[in-house]
Formats: sequence, structure tokens, C-alpha cells
Amino acid sequence: MATHPTQYAHPEALVETDWLEKHLKDEGIRIVESNEDVLLYDTGHIPGAVHIDWRADLQDPVIRDYISPEKFARLCSRHGITPDTTCIFYGDKANWWACYALWAFRLFGHDKVKILNGGRDKWKAESRPMTREVPKYPATNYPVPKKRFDEEIRAFFDEALGQSKSGKPLIDVRSPGEYRGEITHMPEYPQEGVLRGGHIPGAKSMPWKTATNDDATFKPADELAKIYLDQCGVKPGTDTVVYCRIGERSSHTWFVLTYLLGLNNVRNYDGSWTEWGNKVGAPIEKSA
Amino acid sequence: MSKGCSKLDEAGAARDSRGTYPGKLNKIINLFESLPEDERRETLVSYADNAKKQEPRQHENFDLVDVRKDEECTDTVGVYLHVDENGKAHIRMTLGPEVQTLTRSMTAILCKGLEGSTPQEILDLPSDFVRRIVGGELVRIRSQTVYYVLTRIKSICKVWLDRQRMAAVA
Repeated sequence: MATHPTQYAHPEALVETDWLEKHLKDEGIRIVESNEDVLLYDTGHIPGAVHIDWRADLQDPVIRDYISPEKFARLCSRHGITPDTTCIFYGDKANWWACYALWAFRLFGHDKVKILNGGRDKWKAESRPMTREVPKYPATNYPVPKKRFDEEIRAFFDEALGQSKSGKPLIDVRSPGEYRGEITHMPEYPQEGVLRGGHIPGAKSMPWKTATNDDATFKPADELAKIYLDQCGVKPGTDTVVYCRIGERSSHTWFVLTYLLGLNNVRNYDGSWTEWGNKVGAPIEKSA
Repeated sequence: MSKGCSKLDEAGAARDSRGTYPGKLNKIINLFESLPEDERRETLVSYADNAKKQEPRQHENFDLVDVRKDEECTDTVGVYLHVDENGKAHIRMTLGPEVQTLTRSMTAILCKGLEGSTPQEILDLPSDFVRRIVGGELVRIRSQTVYYVLTRIKSICKVWLDRQRMAAVA
């Protein structure tokens, strides 16, 4: 039986609610809220936090892709972020969208990123301060990133197909019903235009939320190792691709594998099932 | 944003829906259209804060009650309809704790804006006003959320009207 880690590989990638409350006004950090609920930030947020919407701010409105490096630089400059700023992401739904925003920041090479463990739910449950005051920070001059790190942390269709054909680890983090092909959308969410149900051949099913506790914090390292190393067959040194419906839930799993378990070869297939399930010629499996 | 929203009817002819809204709803539409984007969001949040006031009150009776959890919404939404002796509809709503802010906003807006309209007027209401209230950007980024409450209210009105017609035939 393999020995599992007892500590996160990068514990510095997480901050706890108690720590953050004591460091709200620290220079060099920017607290970033990113939610599924588009107006949730407006109803109240952590003092000093800025709002970044996963769709309006991070996705190109016309091409299915992320914003350009120029737009990313403008986004950061508007929020007073420099390449040296440590961005602490948090949000609703156990940090699902916060991890997506963090992953997008990493795409543009912004490495100083952390997640608030437990996210918005835990902060509110602990009755920590909230405000409706929208902070204003002096604009910065964030340099336009010279490259986007697609190759390092992002997988495209052909790479996901290659992963499937070579039998390397592929993790489907959607709900079991989506994985089995019984439904083509998340339970409790509308159908968003996928023609076929099922999963990428060879993918293992491990719903993203398996990595979290009831209070929205991440499970301990040894439990995460059992889930992903033992049950999903993920191995250090072997490429791993994670996917979901549009790459948001899987960015949560990407964060767990990359920062908490310390695997450095994990890529998020953000085309995910909305691309694969519609793609002409893409093979699918419907087995349990 | 254009105020003269026109749409195609079933025959394909352009139909101007401007001016076809109930008076209370029209006032709300005009208010939102006069606001800059940041104030529009603040006003949506204010309406969301008031969504709880649209819940049924003690001793109120209803002709129809429709409480369910749909896939389009993250939690249970209840719609309660009472039609008074003058044929005017009075709508109350209950929302589960996980219901999103925009849905709570639309609940308060529609309960207030449609108060006193007839079920047929509600059913005939064109949905283009939703964009004029929440703004094109929110419709674009959360299109699945903004129409849900209107759909549920229309749905209960349709059931009520169908039952009235069946009773009339019988």
C-alpha cells in the first residue's frame, strides 16, 4: 500500500479565513471574488475584495476562448493588480468559480495566486465582516503577458483524444448522471446545448465536490491522495487531463491535483463536454 | 438601449410590444432604463433584498399553488396565485435559500409589477421587457436565469385559465 502525504504539497496556496480577516489591509495582496451568482458580490463581499466575473471578464465574448493578453493586462490594471500582487481568490459553491478564475490567471502567467479555504460560504458562516462598498484601487500598468500558458495547464480536443487513446489518466469531474450519459447537463442546471451524453473513453468519474468537506474547505492531503492516486489512477510523472462541461468544475480538481497534491503535469480541458459531446467523430462511452 | 422593442409574431410580422405592459411594470421598466449600469445593479440587489416580502401572508387563500424544484433553478421556488372577484391576479412567491440573487430580484419585480393584472394579461406579456430591466450584459452572461420567474408565473396563470375554460365548457 502506497504511503500518502500527510500535508498539502503547497500549503502556501491556501489561506484560512482567520488569517485573511487579520490581513485584509495588507499591501501586496488583492482579494478577488468570483461566483456563479452574478449579483452575489453586489449583495455584500469581503472588505476590499474586487469582483471578477468568469464569463464577462475572463471569456472572449465572440470567440470561444479566453480574453486576449491585452485585455487581461487591462483587467489587472483596473483592479490595481501588478505581477507582484498576490491574488487571493474566493467565491460561492465551495470555490468552484474562484478556482476557475485562478486557473485563468495562471494561463496568463500570474503565479502569485491563492485560494481562501472554505470560500464565501465559510466566511459568511463564521459571521466575518462583509460590506457592499466597492473598493477603488489606483490603476496599475500591468504588462501585457508575452505568452499564454496553454501548453502547460490547458488541454485541447486533440490532446484529450490522445490522452484517451494512450490510456493515460483522464478524470471526468461531472455528476455521475452526466458521466453515465443519462443526462447532458448538471443536475439543477439547464441543458446548455450538448447533443450526446456519456464520457470520453477511458475517463474515470470523480465528481469535483468529492475533494471538499461539508464546510466547503478542502479535504486533508491523505484523503485527497486516496481519491485521486488510488481511485483515479493519477500518478506523479504521468500527464493527467481533467474535464467537465465547460472547464469550470474541472479547474477546481486541477487546483487540488496541482497545488494540494503537487502534481505538475495536470491540464484542464476547458472545451470539455460541450465540445466533445457535440464534436463530429468524437468517440464516447456510456458505461457505468 | 432601444425602447422600441419589436418582435416577430407567428405570422412573421413585426410587432411593437412597447406600451403593452401593465402600468406598474411599465414604471419599473422606465426606472431601470433610466439608470446607469452600476445603479441598475444596485437596484436589482435592492429588489432581491425585498423578495422575502413577496411570501404568502397568514390567512391568505390561493386558487392555485405551484411549489417545485426545477432543473432551471438552483433551489425550490413556490408560486401562489389568487384571482379576486374582479378577475385580478395577486401573486406571492417563496424562494429556497440557494436561489440566485437575480432570480430573487425578478421575483420582487414581477410580483410588484404584475399586481392587479389579469391572468390573461400576464400570459400575453411579451418577455422582451426582461432585457430592458436587467440590461443586455446580464442577459448575455446569465441568460438561463433571467426568464425563469416570468416563465413560472405565466405557467400558473395558464393553468388557472385552462381550468376556467374547462369549467365554462362543462
